[in-house]
Amino acid sequence: MNKRRIRTILAVGIIATFATLVALTFVSNYPVPADSQQYLARPLGETGASNRVAGIYLNYRLLDTLLEVLVFSVAVLGVRHYLQQSEGMSLPALSESEVVQTAVGFLSPLALLLCTFFAIFGHISPGGGFAAGVIAASGLLYMAIAHGMKAMEARLNPDRLALAEKATLLILLAFVLSPVAIGRVPLTDLLPKGTPGQLLSGGSILIYNILIAMKVFVGAWAVIAVFAQHRGEL
Amino acid sequence: MIARWILLALLPVVAGIALTQSRRLSAIIGMGLFSFILAAVYVLMHAPDVAITEATIGAALVTAIYVLAIRRTGRLIVVADEVPSLMAREGDHITGLEYEILEGFAREIGLDLSVRFVPLRRVRWLIAHHEADMGAGGIIHLADVEGSLCATPAHLTTAVYAFPTGKTPIEPPDNAPDYEGYFSELASHCQNGTLSTVATSLDLARVLALGRTGASLGELDRVDGAFGYAFLVAKRRTELQKDYVDYLHRLRASGRLDDMIGRYFS
Repeated sequence: MNKRRIRTILAVGIIATFATLVALTFVSNYPVPADSQQYLARPLGETGASNRVAGIYLNYRLLDTLLEVLVFSVAVLGVRHYLQQSEGMSLPALSESEVVQTAVGFLSPLALLLCTFFAIFGHISPGGGFAAGVIAASGLLYMAIAHGMKAMEARLNPDRLALAEKATLLILLAFVLSPVAIGRVPLTDLLPKGTPGQLLSGGSILIYNILIAMKVFVGAWAVIAVFAQHRGEL
Repeated sequence: MIARWILLALLPVVAGIALTQSRRLSAIIGMGLFSFILAAVYVLMHAPDVAITEATIGAALVTAIYVLAIRRTGRLIVVADEVPSLMAREGDHITGLEYEILEGFAREIGLDLSVRFVPLRRVRWLIAHHEADMGAGGIIHLADVEGSLCATPAHLTTAVYAFPTGKTPIEPPDNAPDYEGYFSELASHCQNGTLSTVATSLDLARVLALGRTGASLGELDRVDGAFGYAFLVAKRRTELQKDYVDYLHRLRASGRLDDMIGRYFS
């Protein structure tokens, strides 16, 4: 038996084990945990967001979300710090076929449009800042595949983007801490809740979604760009 | 409910397919498909937020990062001089004996073949500087390959012809071939009747191809000795060399190599 066959059997075995475990989880009927039930029982008007998930992670559990955003920022910082110590690589650009370029010309603007939609409507419909930022970064990545990383770097300077990422984080933190200025507890939502289901509702959730989308987009792109710069065109 | 179970059952199947692909791009597409199915499962479980995140990260971002990552490593980059019957463009695609051999080899080791045509003198430099994996296009296998390069075993025997001294000028042909690189240089000199000023000797494939352009090559003397076409590989790429030697051996043993040679040089 050669190595390849052993690897295949091993892989299929692992997949089968996990598939069985997942199937078992589905068969067994777990009750909804008490914590979740408590959130579901609360009235919509409390957060103003008709998307309950957005209401939970950008209102009730805002501190958790902020720490997640911080973790992401630290990751971006770490990647840039360690990669900038290594030498840059320059390899000749690879050209992609016209099919790829045309498809990207259609997909990338669509990705940016979806990003805007998910960020602005994140508190009303499924979506939110994280997904929006990732979609926009994917759109740029498609363009990098079609036109080459060098052409993208010429338009979007990774150093400036990293700075923009930090600036967005600072704005977010300043916004979260701003209630202190009028003698309130940090993380208090001062904006009106509005009517659930309308665009201007949900208090600060809309602003958080937009800021998080910008941060994730810029941060993800800065990391990819710096990898491409220092490890060659990946 | 049934749809959810069907999608759930599809997940391990797609995962298995993705893992067992030898071509990297197929494996990546399999992974993207897995994420899409998983996203559909989340939608059916009334978790659209999770579904959107799974689709954007798993299917869009990670797939794009992998594709960017294998752009170079997932390809077998071959630099070659264009020689009709061995490696030449024909309309939109490339044909020739060497192209067919390398295409089969690339498929076997799970890479996509990418051929770039360059002048013959650039081939060695590009491989020595790791800009390309293999060099092709009518390269004569010599025992003493210099420096950081080595040649694979010959896949086709050939003959070498030298120009006799004091040659008469050659008549230029009417139709000019559209070739790039070293061969185009030879072809244009062939038309001008100055071939012997740029080349001291020519191999059989080039002699035949130049002859087919309509130009008369005049008298040529066959050089004594055994010659063969081979590919160039960097010396430190031992695994690539070993894989190729195995592949060539199997190709020859199965008789497929002779079939290919018959098709291009009959």
